[in-house]
Amino acid sequence: MPAVPIADDCLFEFIHAELVNYVASSSKGDHDVSTLEYLGFCCGYRIIERLTKDWPRFKDELDTLKFMCTDFWSSIFKKQIDNLRTNHAGVYVLLDNNFRLISKMSSGNQYLEVAPRYVTFTCGLLRGALANLGIHCVVTSEIKTLPACAFHLECWLHVIEFPFPFGMTRVSRLGT
Amino acid sequence: MSRQGTRLDQKKVNSELFTLTYGALVSQLMKDYENVDEVNKQLERMGYNIGIRLIEDFLARTGTGRCYDFRDTAEKIQSAFRLYLGISPQIMNWSSSGDEFSLQFDSNPLTEFVELPDHCLNLKYCNVLTGVLKGALEMVQMDIASCFVQDHLKGDPCTELRVKFIKRLEDAIPAGED
Amino acid sequence: MAVCIAVIGKENSPKYISCINPSMELHFQYKVHVSLDVVEEKLQAVSKPIADVTKEQYLGLLYSTEEHKIYGYVTNTKIKFIVVVDSSNTLLRDNEIRMMFRRLHSVYADIVCNPFFIPGEVISSKKFDKTVKSIMYGD
Repeated sequence: MPAVPIADDCLFEFIHAELVNYVASSSKGDHDVSTLEYLGFCCGYRIIERLTKDWPRFKDELDTLKFMCTDFWSSIFKKQIDNLRTNHAGVYVLLDNNFRLISKMSSGNQYLEVAPRYVTFTCGLLRGALANLGIHCVVTSEIKTLPACAFHLECWLHVIEFPFPFGMTRVSRLGT
Repeated sequence: MSRQGTRLDQKKVNSELFTLTYGALVSQLMKDYENVDEVNKQLERMGYNIGIRLIEDFLARTGTGRCYDFRDTAEKIQSAFRLYLGISPQIMNWSSSGDEFSLQFDSNPLTEFVELPDHCLNLKYCNVLTGVLKGALEMVQMDIASCFVQDHLKGDPCTELRVKFIKRLEDAIPAGED
Repeated sequence: MAVCIAVIGKENSPKYISCINPSMELHFQYKVHVSLDVVEEKLQAVSKPIADVTKEQYLGLLYSTEEHKIYGYVTNTKIKFIVVVDSSNTLLRDNEIRMMFRRLHSVYADIVCNPFFIPGEVISSKKFDKTVKSIMYGD
């Protein structure tokens, strides 16, 4: 089988920027951040299938989050998450001190206004990847100083269901 | 410090994310525009926006100078495909006047997982490439047009992009002006 | 060589089934449904402190009847693949069964990335069909 061609790294940034522009300036319907987030969700959901194909099962929710902060983040954003905090009750904060998609923006005020748009897709990406791994959450972002960005995750299933050991939240079987 | 702490293949993952993001873009356009021709146009428009910036990257990375003639241009386009998409299209079917040629290739990162459904036969899935070429070459004072004459997603034996030279542009508009 | 291959989604919704003998499809649907209980049991075993057994995606033999042996595999994204083989096929080694699942998983990971495929829907991909047929007929 011939080797699959690999696209250059920079192309993702170009297409991402076009996506942001399209959604921001689209005259077609009420496009806003939720569309951008949804597109990120679709991509995260799909790519995680490939990334975890040959990966051992995750022990629990924290194990999964650690994967996202290390392997997942590294392979997409070229570095690991710099800091992961959690309250061990479903809330996580992922801090990237030099987030790839906003790293070229200098810390001027005009960029601070625009920068969140460049992070929305990634919020969706995170949410989609985790959703496909059985962790349902809301992801928001916070940019205090460019180019650092914090991602806030609230895993709401955690609140509703008592987590089984090793994170295998049992989904009740619906009649087939 | 390029492959920090992962046994996943960073280049491959980035490429796949690019493929998926492009796919998501096409899906969104298909939702927004009922008319597939409009989707094709939008893809070309976005490609144009990418092309006018991508050329800077290409010139910086390859240190390439001016093209001597259109055959030279064809070769540079071919090397750009190699650099950015990891494929080596064949240059063929030159017109007798030397102002038109074809690029032939099979799969490319844009189409990696794509299976076109029956109701999308008028969709030019890779149309962003026509825009990229137009935008990029405009920045080096060349007006060209391109279109797909074969598409492997539709069952053709390969994908063929036909590129036509229209005219030289005046050295006028400085970069950055819209 | 398998006589039936099925894909079950999250929440145990059927996504795909293919049988060498199409008239047996209903029969196999039932067998697959039963095997899901065994899958759940094996996954629950993860909670007990047993070494790495269920860290793997391949679950091995789920159960067997006089005519068939049923094998299972669960991805990290809770997609289940079920492969049914003839009990009389004693030549089939464990390695070969694992290989079938690897191929299935590989093509599944491909079709999930088709922008025109909506995850959660039934699988109707030609590429997937082709691979499943190839696995069933032992290519």
